[in-house]
Amino acid sequence: MKKQVIIFQLNDEPVEIYVDPAESLLTVLRDRLGLYGTKAGCSKGECGACTVLLDDRAVNSCLVPVGKVQGCKVETIENLSRGGKVHPIQEEFVDKGAVQCGFCTPGMVLSAYALLKENPQPARDQIKMAISGNLCRCSGYKQIEEAILSAAKKLARQGNSIT
Amino acid sequence: MSYLTVSTLEEALTSLSDSSGKARVVAGATDLFLQDLPHSLVDLSALPEITVVEEKDGLISIGAAVTHTAAASSSLILARARALAEGCSAVGSPQIRNIGTIGGNVINAAPAADAAVALISLGAEAVLIDVNRETRQEAVENLYWTYNRSLVDSSKEILLRLLVKPCLGGEGSAFTRFAVRRALALPMVNAAARVKLENGLVKKVRLVAAPVRPAPTRLIQTEELVINQPVDKDTLKRVEVSAAGEVEVRGSQLRCSARYRQHLVGVLIARVLKIAADRADPGKAGD
Amino acid sequence: MILKTPEKFTRQFGKAESKGYQSPEVWSKVTGKAVYGIDLTLPGMLHGKILRSPFPHARIKQVDTRAAEALPGVRAVLTGAELENRPFGIAVEDELPLAADKVRYIGDEVAAVAAVDLQTAERAIKAIKVEYEELPAVYDPVEALKDEAPLLHDNFPGNIAWQREVERGSLSAAFTEADLVVEERFTVPAIHPAYLEPIACIAVNDPYTGITLHTALQSPDAVREIVARVLKYPLSKVNINGPVMGGGFGGRVYGNLKVYILSALLAIKSGSPVKIQLTREEEFTAGRPMIAAVIKMKMAVRSDGTILGREADIITDNGAYSAQAPWVSKTLSERNDSVYRIPAIKTRVRLAYTNKVPTGQYRAYGNQAANFATESLIDIAAKKLDLDPLELRLKNCVREGDTTVHGLQIGKCGLAECLQAAAKEIGWDRKKAGRGYGLSAAIHANGSLVFDKNFRGASALVRLELDGRITIFTGEQDYGQGTHAAFAQIAARALDVSPVQVTVESKQTKTAPFSTGALAMRQTTVGGKAIQLAAEDLREKIFKAAAELVGEPVAMENEVLRSISGQELELAEVAYHYHSATSGLRMTGEGKFVPAESDYDESGYGNISLTYSFASHAVEAEIDQATGELIIHRLVAVHDSGRIVNHLTARGQVYGGAAQGFGMSCFEGYLFDQGRVANASLADYKIPTALDLPQIDPLFIEIEDPAGPYGSKGLGEIVMVPVLGAVANAAADAAGVHVTDLPLTAEKIYQALAGWECEL
Repeated sequence: MKKQVIIFQLNDEPVEIYVDPAESLLTVLRDRLGLYGTKAGCSKGECGACTVLLDDRAVNSCLVPVGKVQGCKVETIENLSRGGKVHPIQEEFVDKGAVQCGFCTPGMVLSAYALLKENPQPARDQIKMAISGNLCRCSGYKQIEEAILSAAKKLARQGNSIT
Repeated sequence: MSYLTVSTLEEALTSLSDSSGKARVVAGATDLFLQDLPHSLVDLSALPEITVVEEKDGLISIGAAVTHTAAASSSLILARARALAEGCSAVGSPQIRNIGTIGGNVINAAPAADAAVALISLGAEAVLIDVNRETRQEAVENLYWTYNRSLVDSSKEILLRLLVKPCLGGEGSAFTRFAVRRALALPMVNAAARVKLENGLVKKVRLVAAPVRPAPTRLIQTEELVINQPVDKDTLKRVEVSAAGEVEVRGSQLRCSARYRQHLVGVLIARVLKIAADRADPGKAGD
Repeated sequence: MILKTPEKFTRQFGKAESKGYQSPEVWSKVTGKAVYGIDLTLPGMLHGKILRSPFPHARIKQVDTRAAEALPGVRAVLTGAELENRPFGIAVEDELPLAADKVRYIGDEVAAVAAVDLQTAERAIKAIKVEYEELPAVYDPVEALKDEAPLLHDNFPGNIAWQREVERGSLSAAFTEADLVVEERFTVPAIHPAYLEPIACIAVNDPYTGITLHTALQSPDAVREIVARVLKYPLSKVNINGPVMGGGFGGRVYGNLKVYILSALLAIKSGSPVKIQLTREEEFTAGRPMIAAVIKMKMAVRSDGTILGREADIITDNGAYSAQAPWVSKTLSERNDSVYRIPAIKTRVRLAYTNKVPTGQYRAYGNQAANFATESLIDIAAKKLDLDPLELRLKNCVREGDTTVHGLQIGKCGLAECLQAAAKEIGWDRKKAGRGYGLSAAIHANGSLVFDKNFRGASALVRLELDGRITIFTGEQDYGQGTHAAFAQIAARALDVSPVQVTVESKQTKTAPFSTGALAMRQTTVGGKAIQLAAEDLREKIFKAAAELVGEPVAMENEVLRSISGQELELAEVAYHYHSATSGLRMTGEGKFVPAESDYDESGYGNISLTYSFASHAVEAEIDQATGELIIHRLVAVHDSGRIVNHLTARGQVYGGAAQGFGMSCFEGYLFDQGRVANASLADYKIPTALDLPQIDPLFIEIEDPAGPYGSKGLGEIVMVPVLGAVANAAADAAGVHVTDLPLTAEKIYQALAGWECEL
């Protein structure tokens, strides 16, 4: 397709790019905008490593043609730990041993983030459902689930809103 | 023009007619990269009139660009068209459900698309408009051409909404599926039912299974079998045998053999009918 | 003794890990800042792409690259004709960097290009014209061994890549004495490690410093040697720098040698850095899954349950090239013989070439595949003898002080305790109606004394930095399994400092000590011992220098260095004193852990490892009689891995290994259609999601083993072994029939229940 100008909100800042609108959001984020925190595990929507938030919903960035994000809000893993601060979800991932090779971790954290935005006190089954599109080969998911449960409690204790 | 997110239906139709067959409409666009890219795309996902679920003239109207996530959590659909909520929650993964739409599930015409199977069991009708501004209404099962090909030409016609008669007193619906894995997996078989009971006997029923033919398939003989019967153990046994006997299915190396799939059709149809019937308790307001 | 709460021991490993100490790398991973192989780019970098054979077996008549070379943006095109026809390999030398005369599987590397971007490289690949003459192909390893089968490699007659026959004790006596003989045929498909990050490598060629490969490997030293040999470069002119690794599980011990060699050759030819990254599809179609196996096994048992002997005839499926498949075949064929006191065994194993994807290795090295067969057979025998499967196992399991049928010397051993604990925890004595219960037992080596006789051990350097912090230099790689955290804890304990004071460096082959690699479950036991020795050496050096500084003896107590008169010293002061006294050296402790040579003989008899880890798993399951669906409710995983260094990461290993075992038991496995991989995607090659896994309960029997550092030993591989037997036995107990063909899909179980002829 012909290139066109795409303007969207990326990690709370406006971005303007001139790009083939059929290019995937994943390759735009990584190869054009240098945001390598979003991982490419299959590029076919089958592993969830490339999960980002599109208007607050977790999506596979590899399946989103960038033309679709025109005027939308996109959040990547880089937005969760700005200015040297680490999000409570990330703290709990470390604390509970939920990070092994770490390749699924950014996508997994973002699925958790999207879940907690919508449902601040999820049950374990809801957590499993929320991360069921994120494959992890290292962990068997148990410590990831523990981390998300624990992050929900921590956020509630702190009386923090998720963001 | 190449990728256009439209904000009015008029804009969408004009774009289609202006590009005389070289553009086509998309909504979630999750299957875009699996196909050859057209010259240009008209994205409908921001059209306000097709992104809502509402009750209108006694019908549930589900906009074609409603995502699977939205449909699965709609209180109206959960209360009055439960099979559809269940079908939508079974699609792919949360990430895919968050962006993939009901309309796409129908128009992509996959033989065992979970939302479409549920819609057909519910007797859903599709409302379409073409570039000449002519609208038509069609039963969802009549939109299929062949495997993964819809009769709806996305360069000329737009699916606007799906209309479902709500399940009211004495009526229930349900959806179920059987797959190797509980997420990110196409089903070996999926099945859905809508049933109306009177005095404990089946008065109306729609039973749908897939993948059987290119389109999700109604099991007419089995439907006839249960009319005026109670949904009890004995009937369900006969339903299982009848449903399996009624279909001719294909096997696939990736999922299962034809013989096993046929067996599963029987098991799943009986199970889903039972769940729908349990929800059709006349004491309740519907499913 | 079972300890669910680790406080008592974690304290001994330093203060910081009351919640479980972890490497600082986790912070870069969780924030998305960690740089993996796929994330790397270099200035001027080209993108490489490989042209692969569309045929399972064909002669290459002609390769025409002119059109590809003429494309703008193409910087190098490489074919087999330009390269010396000298095979290389890992266990067997049977591969060429690019096919010269023949292709042997769909995916075989025929040509490679480097271009300014990926799209141009892909276009160039399509522009290469290859003329093939198709040859008859063979896909089934049993068929491949028949006389009339098409031959893959002229120098491997009968399509046998490797074979072995071994008999110990008197098998005929065992079968004569037996009250019962049970016999079954088991099949196991090829399994992909399915690490989530696809393999990627950037090769940089510099005329002065040589080739640098930026790629993450479990055994960079081993790959470095092979690449140097293939390129005919001096070893010191090949270096491997490891970025963060997105999963390994054995699959990145040697990774994908073709990718490293071809990116290096393209870098040499083009004069620019070249990156090759496999697609997920290439990972499945041209990666290195673990061998499939057909295991025919027969066991002789006395009516009281005493195992008298076992005979096995095993055919493993090599695919087109060998990689580590001979070694995996060997472990698969014999390791399970040492779980029980079996006086006589006879085993024949043949590794057959077929026109399919070449194979490599995976976590547990085939031990888990054999566990499926051996543990199923034990339950089959128990049922026929009307004995309790737990009692039968306890009666026969190996114990401390045993020498097993293959000469393994069993040191500290908690296998019986593991079995009892697993049974107790799963509710063996109060089984629920309608549920099936399965048990299994496993042994796994802790590093090999015979794999490379000259490198049985490990070495490490531990350095005191000028600021008083500690740096470990090791060749042992960490890719999330917790090795570096354990190393930091071991060094911290030896030095009496906090592990947060310790940094681990391992990523560059040119500076790190040599290591045979993250394999054979050797890192904690063997690698960790070297860390302990190096840290102890450093500690003595610190005391000596500190004593010089203050003029009286010093000691460390509660992380404080103090002289006998009570004067406190900072480690930084000691470091600086040594630094200035030596005009610039930094104080470094050396650790050389060299175990005694094995008594291993030519027949393969002998003690192959420093020590062994043990495990027993128990599973509670249910079968949906209408569909055959296997519903697993709970897995109890009991492990004797000595003293646990870090309970947080140890639990992570058990959960993850159990999940992989569960996937292999229930739905994983390659499917082929005329040599083509039919399920070459993560949608079709299904690994478990969060919704698929049962409750998993890890328990540790902490029996200190003096062989390992502070009584600890290996865990990472054995975790997946007993899952297979336990799941199979629970499924069989629930279904009333044993399915002997992995994976245990609903369809296969239903077929067994319904008495259908197998259609698969």
